[in-house]
Amino acid sequence: MRAFFDLWDQVPVALQDVLLMCVLLAPAVVAGIVVMRGYRPLQLVGAMLWRYRWTNALFVALIAVSVGIGVGLIAQERGLRKGTARAAEKFDLVVSAPGSEVQMLLAAVYLQPVDVPLIDGPTWEKIATHENVALAAPIAYGDSFGASPIIGTTAPFVTHLAGELAGGRMFASLNEAVAGARAPLGVGDTFTPAHGIGDSAESDAHAGHSLTVVGRMPATGSPWDKAILVPVESVWSVHGLASGHAPGDDRIGPPFDPAFFPGTPAVLVRADQLWANYALRSEFTSERTMAFFPGAVLASLHAMLGDVRQVMSVMAVLTQVLVAAGVLAGLVVLTRLYARRLALLRALGAPDRFVFAVVWCYAAALISAGAVLGVAVGLLAVEAISRVVTARTDILVEASLAWPEFHLVAGFVSLTVLLALLPAFNAVSRNIITDLRG
Amino acid sequence: MSIPHLRVRDLTVTGDGGRLLLSVNALDIAPGSRIGIRGPSGAGKSTLLHAIAGLVRAASGAVRWGEADLAAMNDAERARFRREHVGLIFQDFLLFEELSAAGNAALAAAFSASSRRGAIRAGADAMLGHLGLSDHSKRSVSTFSGGERQRVAVSRALAGDPAIILADEPTASLDRAAADRLIDDLAKLASDRGKTLVAVSHDAALHARMDRVLDVVDGVLVAGA
Repeated sequence: MRAFFDLWDQVPVALQDVLLMCVLLAPAVVAGIVVMRGYRPLQLVGAMLWRYRWTNALFVALIAVSVGIGVGLIAQERGLRKGTARAAEKFDLVVSAPGSEVQMLLAAVYLQPVDVPLIDGPTWEKIATHENVALAAPIAYGDSFGASPIIGTTAPFVTHLAGELAGGRMFASLNEAVAGARAPLGVGDTFTPAHGIGDSAESDAHAGHSLTVVGRMPATGSPWDKAILVPVESVWSVHGLASGHAPGDDRIGPPFDPAFFPGTPAVLVRADQLWANYALRSEFTSERTMAFFPGAVLASLHAMLGDVRQVMSVMAVLTQVLVAAGVLAGLVVLTRLYARRLALLRALGAPDRFVFAVVWCYAAALISAGAVLGVAVGLLAVEAISRVVTARTDILVEASLAWPEFHLVAGFVSLTVLLALLPAFNAVSRNIITDLRG
Repeated sequence: MSIPHLRVRDLTVTGDGGRLLLSVNALDIAPGSRIGIRGPSGAGKSTLLHAIAGLVRAASGAVRWGEADLAAMNDAERARFRREHVGLIFQDFLLFEELSAAGNAALAAAFSASSRRGAIRAGADAMLGHLGLSDHSKRSVSTFSGGERQRVAVSRALAGDPAIILADEPTASLDRAAADRLIDDLAKLASDRGKTLVAVSHDAALHARMDRVLDVVDGVLVAGA
């Protein structure tokens, strides 16, 4: 057994997927070969399908919707996982005051703000001047404009997050801002920040402070697309705090003077070497600071949800099988519509296995058509749900059907065509004379 | 195959709860005969036809076509016997509406041995031609008149060149002109090709073309045997 798994591990992943698909479909194919061997039932099956075409179409539609929703949800879950991971990939290491990593992840990466203690000037200085730190950027949140959070940070962070600007230029003074790709402001627009975010935001708290959008970021597929990024000094300024620089120094951006550094809820840190991230995390995990890899926190969240995902997959299969079982129970009733013709076949001398093959092929055709159509429904469902989730979370979800969904459909087809043997047995156990009389 | 002689002895057929449906002490039908079966509705005519077709299991007695005793066979063996030796015709045709005339007439090709499929299809085409339907063989039977449908059913019964033709009220769903044409076709086919024809019918015109007519009353074969 172990040798088998060792060998399996050496098979390329794409080939593993194809082989697994074949294994999952094998029971259906074998059943088909065994049942149909030596007979030509397809013309009759076609006639049966056409005779009650609308009823058959309804059965196919029921299976398709059930399969489509199942594969759609599973694909969506994977798409959401990928989307959240992609949104976090620019955030190598985050340093904040000690607290909940998950809460800080939500605040700093997904812009769901929470009240946390601030990192002070000396701590900032220690981070910013560390020999292995290539980029240290404050992430100061708390204000908003409409539904867009306003984040105080530095120009290098904007470049790190989004690369080249899609339009305009980088902010260069306290009163300038760069808007995210989906923020409701264009280059040249002026706005006044509100204090707070959401329903509790105080729109006139910062009256008199107006900022002008001078640049626009390209889309990043993250909640930052809705954000408005301003110099962190601007955030400090509108709150009446020190500017981060000695009096008389009107520069914006680092380096900051620790004596005049008002504090920031979080700092994004990027090391010059990959290994250095681990050293930095270790170094800044102390009584005064907490350092974490957003990717790692997200991975543990996903791992925790992994069991839920498996349960969800099993539930999806079970739901589909239950729908299929309902459909097959309906098929038993439906085959009564054909009872007289099936009795005729037996009266003419057709072997029971032939009649069995006709009924089974008929059921298998409905199931297979429903499954194939279900994949199409799944594609549409994925597209629709992705749009809703992207709109609701601001995390770009690009879900598409992949091998796991096709495996699910293949497993479903095999299981249900085996279940379809039951109505076929039922059809050949009926009394010929009773059915012939109709 | 050679046409077998039918010998029925001490046959009883029972229904639900053991109720006696049919009793036949003795019935002999010579090969190539044309036999009519008549009697009041519910008398057991169709049950007699079903018994000699092997569609119902005999409670006792023997139904021997040559050496083959249907009463001693299981379901699969009786189905095989019908497949190889019997052509059946029903009152309301029992066609597959979605299939063409040729598709219906060659229906048995779908479940017969591959060595017989070609002969069945050729036989079906020949019968449709013989009965004047060759120009319409590709048409769906749903567009056919009653008389045409029954001729398709006759073609289906004879496509495999069976030795025995069993018909259950073959003219009951037809108008007089179509019924007369069908009787004529059936009688000639049986005579010309030397088939044994057994037809249950209320139709006196059909009885008139038979060699012998049997009466079934209250589940008992009472006359003509």
